[in-house]
Amino acid sequence: MKALCFKGSGSEYFKIWIVNILLIIVTLGLYYPWAKVRNHRYFYANTILEERNFEYHATGKQLFLGFLVAMVLFITYIVISKILPIGGFMIMGILFVAIPWLIWRSLKFSLKMTSFSNVRFGFKGTLRQAYINFFVFPFLFILALYGVPMGVAVGVPMMLGEEGVAPWLQAILPLAIIISIGFAFYLYGFMKKKNTSYRLNGTRYGQGIFETNLEVKKFLFILLKTIGMSILVIGVFVLLIGSVVYTTIGLEGVLEMKYNMNNPQAGHTGLGLMMMIYISAYLGFIFSSMLIMAYSITRQRSYIYQNTSLDKKISFASTLKAKSLAWVMVTNFIVILLTLGLAFPWTKVRMARLIVENTLVDTEAGFYEYITQKEKEESSLGEQIGDAFDVDVGIGL
Amino acid sequence: MIQGRWYEKGSATSYKAIFQDIDNIYYKIELDNGRNLKGLIEALSVGNRLGNVERKIILEDGSLFATKENDKVDELLKNKLKINHFIHTLETHIRWVVVALVVTVLFSFSFFKWGIPYASKQIAHALPHKTNQLIASNTLDYLDKYIFNKSTLSIQEMNKIRVHFKTNLVPLSIEDKSITYTLHFRDWSDVPNALALPSGDIILTDKFVELCKSQEEMDAVLLHEMGHIVHRHSLEMVIQSTFVSVAVMLIVGDSNGLADMGVGLGSLMVSSAYSRGHETEADLYAFEHMLTANMNPKAFSRIMNRMTEYIQSDKSITKHKPETKNSEDSILDYLSSHPSTKKRVEIANMFAECYRKGLKSCKIELMD
Repeated sequence: MKALCFKGSGSEYFKIWIVNILLIIVTLGLYYPWAKVRNHRYFYANTILEERNFEYHATGKQLFLGFLVAMVLFITYIVISKILPIGGFMIMGILFVAIPWLIWRSLKFSLKMTSFSNVRFGFKGTLRQAYINFFVFPFLFILALYGVPMGVAVGVPMMLGEEGVAPWLQAILPLAIIISIGFAFYLYGFMKKKNTSYRLNGTRYGQGIFETNLEVKKFLFILLKTIGMSILVIGVFVLLIGSVVYTTIGLEGVLEMKYNMNNPQAGHTGLGLMMMIYISAYLGFIFSSMLIMAYSITRQRSYIYQNTSLDKKISFASTLKAKSLAWVMVTNFIVILLTLGLAFPWTKVRMARLIVENTLVDTEAGFYEYITQKEKEESSLGEQIGDAFDVDVGIGL
Repeated sequence: MIQGRWYEKGSATSYKAIFQDIDNIYYKIELDNGRNLKGLIEALSVGNRLGNVERKIILEDGSLFATKENDKVDELLKNKLKINHFIHTLETHIRWVVVALVVTVLFSFSFFKWGIPYASKQIAHALPHKTNQLIASNTLDYLDKYIFNKSTLSIQEMNKIRVHFKTNLVPLSIEDKSITYTLHFRDWSDVPNALALPSGDIILTDKFVELCKSQEEMDAVLLHEMGHIVHRHSLEMVIQSTFVSVAVMLIVGDSNGLADMGVGLGSLMVSSAYSRGHETEADLYAFEHMLTANMNPKAFSRIMNRMTEYIQSDKSITKHKPETKNSEDSILDYLSSHPSTKKRVEIANMFAECYRKGLKSCKIELMD
């Protein structure tokens, strides 16, 4: 197993990034597709395995038309959602229906535009499967998590009237809700497995076929541990804030402040301190959610990589640790806040390095026999719309 | 001589290779398996330089020569470089990077500070009044359905206010003749408030009417609402937020959810700043028209102070309108949609001073 290595640097990318922004400004936004290509190329080409690198092949010209259409749609969406709240919901509805198509197009386009060692990737998943994976499953999940419990809790008593609810029914209702939520829980793991399999099993490297064998059980296990950890982290967090407030201001202080709030003449003693505690509690909340997110991401990643192979010869692994991912997330966030966004390129390089260098590939079989497969040209439309509406495709390493 | 690797077309099979320029017309590539390739330099397609990432040169037959020796490629094949090389020049000269940085920072600042408000104003006023009606359509129905209750005021009271409004205030609004003002009265569970819809509908809550101790106080607030309508603030808001969303999308582009959190806070601050600008503009509209109609702007400070006091004394309302909390100079002011009452009252008092002197207009310095 060999780790990929990342050769980009923050200062070098900063220059590329700032010139991109300058040109976007000067061209009133029209340069965006070319800027995107340069950004992608920089990160792809600096990702290296045994002196072979990745490459992003799309050109600005190729992206431009899709970009224009996406921009028109995006502006229409914002204007309509501001004017008619119902219009906004309608477009969100349309987007929900369109998401599987957008993901499918994006995967096809992005993978085709990516090469490693002069051989292009590809995507062979079907549109039908995209709809099953990104429309039917999420729909069932939302139904089980919110729809059924809410329907049961609100709808059944309403239908039967106040006195019509028999005691045995009252006992069954909570049970129905619990079963439904339990089902949602299972669906989550099932959906994770299916979605990941769809993406990976459809991916090609030249004539090579990626294959992944995943189990729902494992995803559920990770989810359970994540939930447990969330409860633990939030509990510790609430205790911590509580004890800080108690020791610095004290119970009486809080009550007094509450009283003073209603009395404009009274001084606001301790309000400054309370503000500080508010802000640190808010930041603390963001940081703990990052920690939990990092845990869930790294565990799933390790599991998926371990069970994925290329042509059953080339295997993968992830050594990304929750602690180091959370550390980079938290510090990146702080640095971006402190520099008002100017350190963004540096944080992006830092994150890319962490992720790339924790990706392992078994290279013993070698890549010599792989050859790019001929395919027809893909339009960038779907990919660009997905980009504008922030549809998460997540084909990253 | 350039060291690199040669790849067969579309294949991962590669050999170490050395590229040589023979006589400015032909090139030669020596592979480490002994093979030699020759061809016209003219027919090569040289990729754009990007930082120091591997450079790709595509040969006539579609095979590829890749090298890390970017400087040598630039030197040896300078006639083949595409126009895009200009961008690499920008990226590598510290002078241009500094220029880009300064331009970006200044531009972003001025764009959000002046550019968006100015452009939104121009666009909002270039659109026909129908647009205003379009934005407002269904809004009152929606509010009636979910927020308001029927007013408990008597018909006589309502009509008295309406007649006064029609005869004394509406004639003051000479800027836009296409607007038809309509007064509505609603109950909003003890919240004192007045709202303006872009269509010309103004809604007064029962609590607000109750808190007004004089006709001038109510007129001051009504003129403020008319100011929102004349200046087309709702429409401007729609246009402004469109600008902000598109600008944010272009600059942040394909970032991760992490940066989104910071960006969200930033957009909130920007749109709150615009909203505060609108409030001040509507205040000024009210004060100026009060002076021309010979009314004392002091009435505005009185009603503002009374409303603030009422809200602070009634905790159940702070839940509905947290932004009116009287936290002067706190960090939260940057997130508030209204300027603090203190600042608004100060401006009203300046106008009241002009009124006392018998002036019909008043020049004041606004500080941000």
